Amino acid sequence: MTEERHHPRDHRIDGPTDVGGHEVRTEATTLPVLPGDVHAYDTQGTSSRTLWGDAWRRLRRNKLAVVSIVWIIMIVIMTVTADVWVVPLFGDPLAVNTTPGSNLQSPSLEHPFGTDKLGRDVFSRVVYGARVSLTVGVLAVSISLLIGLVLGALSGYRGGLTDTFVMRTADVFFAFPYILFAISLIAVLGPSYRNVFIAIGILGWPSIARVFRSSILSIKENEYIDAARAMGASDFRIMFRHVMPNAVAPIIVYGTMSIGGAIITEAALSFLGMGVQPPTPSWGLMLSDAKSLMFVAPWLTIWPGFAILTTVLAFVLLGDGFRDALDVKMKD
Amino acid sequence: MPPLLEVKNLATQFTTRDGIVKAVDGVTFTLEAGETLGVVGESGSGKSVTALSIMRLLQEPQGKIVSGEVLFKGEDIVKMNDSQVRSLRGDRIAMIFQDPMTSLNPVYRIDRQIGESLILHKGMSKKEAFERTVELLELVGIPHPRDRARDYPHQFSGGMRQRAMIAMALACDPDILIADEPTTALDVTIQAQILELMMEMQQRTGAAIIMITHDLGVVADMADDVMVMYAGKQVEYGSADEVFYNPRHPYTWGLLASLPRHDVDEKTCLNPIAGQPPSLINVPPGCAFHPRCTYARPECRVQTPRLLNVGGGHLVACPYSSEESPEACGVLPRGAGAQ
Repeated sequence: MTEERHHPRDHRIDGPTDVGGHEVRTEATTLPVLPGDVHAYDTQGTSSRTLWGDAWRRLRRNKLAVVSIVWIIMIVIMTVTADVWVVPLFGDPLAVNTTPGSNLQSPSLEHPFGTDKLGRDVFSRVVYGARVSLTVGVLAVSISLLIGLVLGALSGYRGGLTDTFVMRTADVFFAFPYILFAISLIAVLGPSYRNVFIAIGILGWPSIARVFRSSILSIKENEYIDAARAMGASDFRIMFRHVMPNAVAPIIVYGTMSIGGAIITEAALSFLGMGVQPPTPSWGLMLSDAKSLMFVAPWLTIWPGFAILTTVLAFVLLGDGFRDALDVKMKD
Repeated sequence: MPPLLEVKNLATQFTTRDGIVKAVDGVTFTLEAGETLGVVGESGSGKSVTALSIMRLLQEPQGKIVSGEVLFKGEDIVKMNDSQVRSLRGDRIAMIFQDPMTSLNPVYRIDRQIGESLILHKGMSKKEAFERTVELLELVGIPHPRDRARDYPHQFSGGMRQRAMIAMALACDPDILIADEPTTALDVTIQAQILELMMEMQQRTGAAIIMITHDLGVVADMADDVMVMYAGKQVEYGSADEVFYNPRHPYTWGLLASLPRHDVDEKTCLNPIAGQPPSLINVPPGCAFHPRCTYARPECRVQTPRLLNVGGGHLVACPYSSEESPEACGVLPRGAGAQ
């Protein structure tokens, strides 16, 4: 369909454009009012009226996205309620058990994921590790969003010197090797749980600013913005009613995917000893502890690794689902 | 009683890195209620900028009206402040854009977009605006307007979107409708329908239309008056009959000669105008058209032609094609201006 060409897709993050199976409706080009016009669209009146309602409906049809949401919600519930059931059933994640034979146990009913070299229950540590990962992920991305959206919007609307200054600063951030920059930031701030998400958050803003700026720029050029001006809308109204709703979709997508990225970075930093400090359970830290025991006690690497993989994947797939859901072209 | 719209000596310039672009230079015309003015010219001749200047929609600070007046019912739009201009836009003067595919905001349903100006200018409630939108959609020939009002733009075909744009422009019953190449992006059968719709709407509402186009056929169909523009300047202006049947400017001849004619049986070649329109940063001295003009004389390189009245309000910016220089008229290209 010709409409595809005109859609400002350039602001979208690359990746698969269309998940298959979206119906291309053939529209009647006959224009005079036809009495018994055969129209293929639904008139059942079930359609919700808002953009977000429609997006939610489309998201629910995407199986991978639904599985991802369920998975993320499950992890959140498990880790939030962990004090109630994990500790009594499997033991405190911090409780070192020095009884001979209690360390490095292979998975059993009592310890479903086995125990580590200090006799701590791995399942319990994985569940508590989710707390660190999810909080770091969400808080880091929130910081990035806060800085990135403000600077990106400023840069996109104002243009000129502001734009140059913000974007060149972003370039400077991009010029540093990411992990190295994070490590040096942590080295300055001191390795701690809080400083990990601050560091990741600070490092994340340039991408957000760029995505937001570019989508604002491309949206500003659209004829519907001119049309809105020609209709008598004020700058404020154009910004918030016409530019923002179009610019926000890529941010939701990118933000969701970034949570996954932030979780990976946290794991990497903790693995390198620059993140969360022992004995706090963190997936990266657990992997780091387990690396020398990989062949003796593989469960020590498998479970935290599995947790990182599935959680990050869930956020990325959810982001992908948002991308399709927020595209009004992908109607039913 | 002042005329509905009176544009006097309008000049608009853009400041670019390469220099100052004189996009519009001294355009003058009047428009009365219910009239249609056709503005024709090649790409870059200043047609659209003229329209944007009237609505004060230029991208400031690069684009600026440097001189002239745009009198709407006697009031100068150029001197108005932003909020005064905003209250005119969409309410008294509305605009239809070239590409219906991109002129509708993809995230809002049709009714929200058409209703926006009603809510903005007429203070309607959402519900009233919706009812009026349905009426408007019906008026412009959208089938099942009540259902389709809730569609997103991408669910409309190109022709339907242009109809929706027309509905949007007509929502507040404007005095002037500026259509910037409203049919260029549509296929030929739809073009005719849209033009017909515009004429029908004009009859119903009594709005004046400024039709910007490079399609002379469209102008011949619709316009009462025609303004031919070249390099930001007005080269010929007059009633449609005068300009089509008695064209005086060599550029107008060239435009008419480059049209395919289906009333001539023999297969003839089209006669395009040789060369390219000039850069508006370096407009040739004298008559801007002289490098491409077959009839150019040495004087044309020096003297900037003024608009001369050749009778009946027919203005031409070429001193050598008026009655005093019959040889120029005698060599009218074959076909051009002929009945």
